[in-house]
Amino acid sequence: MFDQVAAKPNRIRVCIIGGGGTGAAVAYDLSLRGFSVMLLERGELTSGTTGRHHGQLHSGARYAVGDRAIARECMEEALVLRRIVPDAIEYNGGVFVAIDDEEADRAPSFIAACLESGIPAREVPVAEARSWEPAINPVARRTVWVPDGSFDAFRLPLSFFAAARDLGATIRPFTEAVGLEVSGGRARAVVAWAAGDSSEERIECDYVVSASGAWAGAVGALAGLDVPITPAPGTLVAVRSRVSDMVLSRLSLPGDGDIIVPQRGLSIIGTTQRVALDPDCLIPHDDDTAFLLARADELAPGFSSNAIHAVWSAARPLSGRAIDDGRNLSRDFMVLDHSADGVAGMATLTGGKATVLRAMAEKAADRVCSEFGIDEPCRTRNFVLPSWRDWYAEAGL
Amino acid sequence: MNRASMIPLVLCVRSGASFASFRLETEPQRTVLDLLERLRADDERVPAYRHSCHHGSCGTCGAVISGLPSLMCLTTAADLSAPRPRRPGGPAVDPERDSGGAVIVTLEPLARMSVVSGIAVRPGPVFAGIPRDASYLAAADDSGRSPLPPDPAGARVGQGNVGSGHEGDSWRPIGRARFEACIECGLCVAACPVSLPFIGPAALAAVNRERQKRPERAAAMLAIAAAPDGVEPCGRFLACSRVCPQAVYPGKHIQLLRNVLADGQR
Repeated sequence: MFDQVAAKPNRIRVCIIGGGGTGAAVAYDLSLRGFSVMLLERGELTSGTTGRHHGQLHSGARYAVGDRAIARECMEEALVLRRIVPDAIEYNGGVFVAIDDEEADRAPSFIAACLESGIPAREVPVAEARSWEPAINPVARRTVWVPDGSFDAFRLPLSFFAAARDLGATIRPFTEAVGLEVSGGRARAVVAWAAGDSSEERIECDYVVSASGAWAGAVGALAGLDVPITPAPGTLVAVRSRVSDMVLSRLSLPGDGDIIVPQRGLSIIGTTQRVALDPDCLIPHDDDTAFLLARADELAPGFSSNAIHAVWSAARPLSGRAIDDGRNLSRDFMVLDHSADGVAGMATLTGGKATVLRAMAEKAADRVCSEFGIDEPCRTRNFVLPSWRDWYAEAGL
Repeated sequence: MNRASMIPLVLCVRSGASFASFRLETEPQRTVLDLLERLRADDERVPAYRHSCHHGSCGTCGAVISGLPSLMCLTTAADLSAPRPRRPGGPAVDPERDSGGAVIVTLEPLARMSVVSGIAVRPGPVFAGIPRDASYLAAADDSGRSPLPPDPAGARVGQGNVGSGHEGDSWRPIGRARFEACIECGLCVAACPVSLPFIGPAALAAVNRERQKRPERAAAMLAIAAAPDGVEPCGRFLACSRVCPQAVYPGKHIQLLRNVLADGQR
């Protein structure tokens, strides 16, 4: 069991701001490497972006033509997650579908890009793909199998939180970072306010990791930093039918409304992309709903005849500053160290995707280790994580 | 949006011993969760609430909405301005309105759970009785479809790298897999009127699903159901099944467990 996993404590105090998937994985990784971890999340865990995403476990195929490195990383991380959080993943594979001639012409370069990225994509006859998933549009010209899947966007990160807490991390939901104390050019403490409390508290620490995703700009501003981040919200629509077990994608350049992800008894069509100044209060655009349903019908005719279950919006945290809809920005992630900006002892994680949360955490934890000369390897690939149920079942939660 | 179709609401959100009230107008399709998020973004002092997925999948945003345990992300302004039961199984009645005609909506924390702040609760009682290792994956009905293709070598999950002691911890069905329908939201636990020691409807639904899926675990699951806090305290009120947002119908699972236990005694 996970109870047997142990770490060598080093007494260095790291405060993580943000309780989404990235924060969860950073808390786990740093705890495994012996750090004393405190994580602050202003609301419920995963209430920002993580929990709202459609839950596609990316094989990387979607990104392969544009960026082999991102695609390769997705494939590697998808396999790691399937091993360490098996209960939170509906793994059934996926199919990329070419509906028109232009998409059909892309198939060879798409498959080649996947193979170069270590993704074992293979073209299958349309009839075979439709024997797996008859929902696929019969006019499809070409179909390609890929190892996509879907995961529970809430439960998968909660397993990381449960693991971090088992190793001694203090995870504090409903506790907002409202200030960052910087003196002598170094971050010294985080000022926090817990929901319902009458006063703020000061949490001294040796290092701060901002894992606040689309809110990284606001958190950075607490320390006087200008963090280049673009909140890029998208709308998603869930209908009350599981039209397929496999993830269905359009064989086009990544765009709007080109992925159908199954989840329990629902199917989710995603997504659109806009650019927002403020990631708070993302009310879906009503125009997006009709657009997404029409796009879904192209992939799986009849999709829109199912009752709508929910329409919602989530903000991707893109690294950098956007032009137009932000699709100029990569889905890659980076660890920004702020010493050059006059704030040592603090780093911000920007960009990235849920599938690569563990890899993002590894890079951030490597950064923290090098800051303190800690020579502990990353071990987060090695263990099957405890159940998310442990997170709430434990006394006091 | 046509002005006439806007719905005036007064949201009264429990905050300790009192309520924080917010007056607003909204399009009918907006959910209670959308409205709280909008208020919070407008810098209103909104009491704390739980939320994550916004589409009825995570199970965090349960609250007692005008008397009925419900998910805030799936309850719309239109639902609240139409006749609706005030308690599980009660008759649908017209909404209460203030003197200006605005629909009064009360949001209170789920019963049986301790409160973090506002209407945010700690859902420990939902999870306490669910067997720690009950599998969350189930076989997806293939409906006559062809078996899914096996993974090619490059996409296979290796067996070698996992830390010790984990073999057998995780179970998955052969073939197509999907999650259990239960989202562990705890509405059933909050609605259940039983006051005796009782592991509760969510746990018993999970126990029965585990028994159905994994015959090798049937005896262990039936032992949980046969314990004094198992099926016995259930008074067949069916409040659990009435509030379940996922049509899991925990009452049905409790009855199935009873039937199997009774067969075993004959």
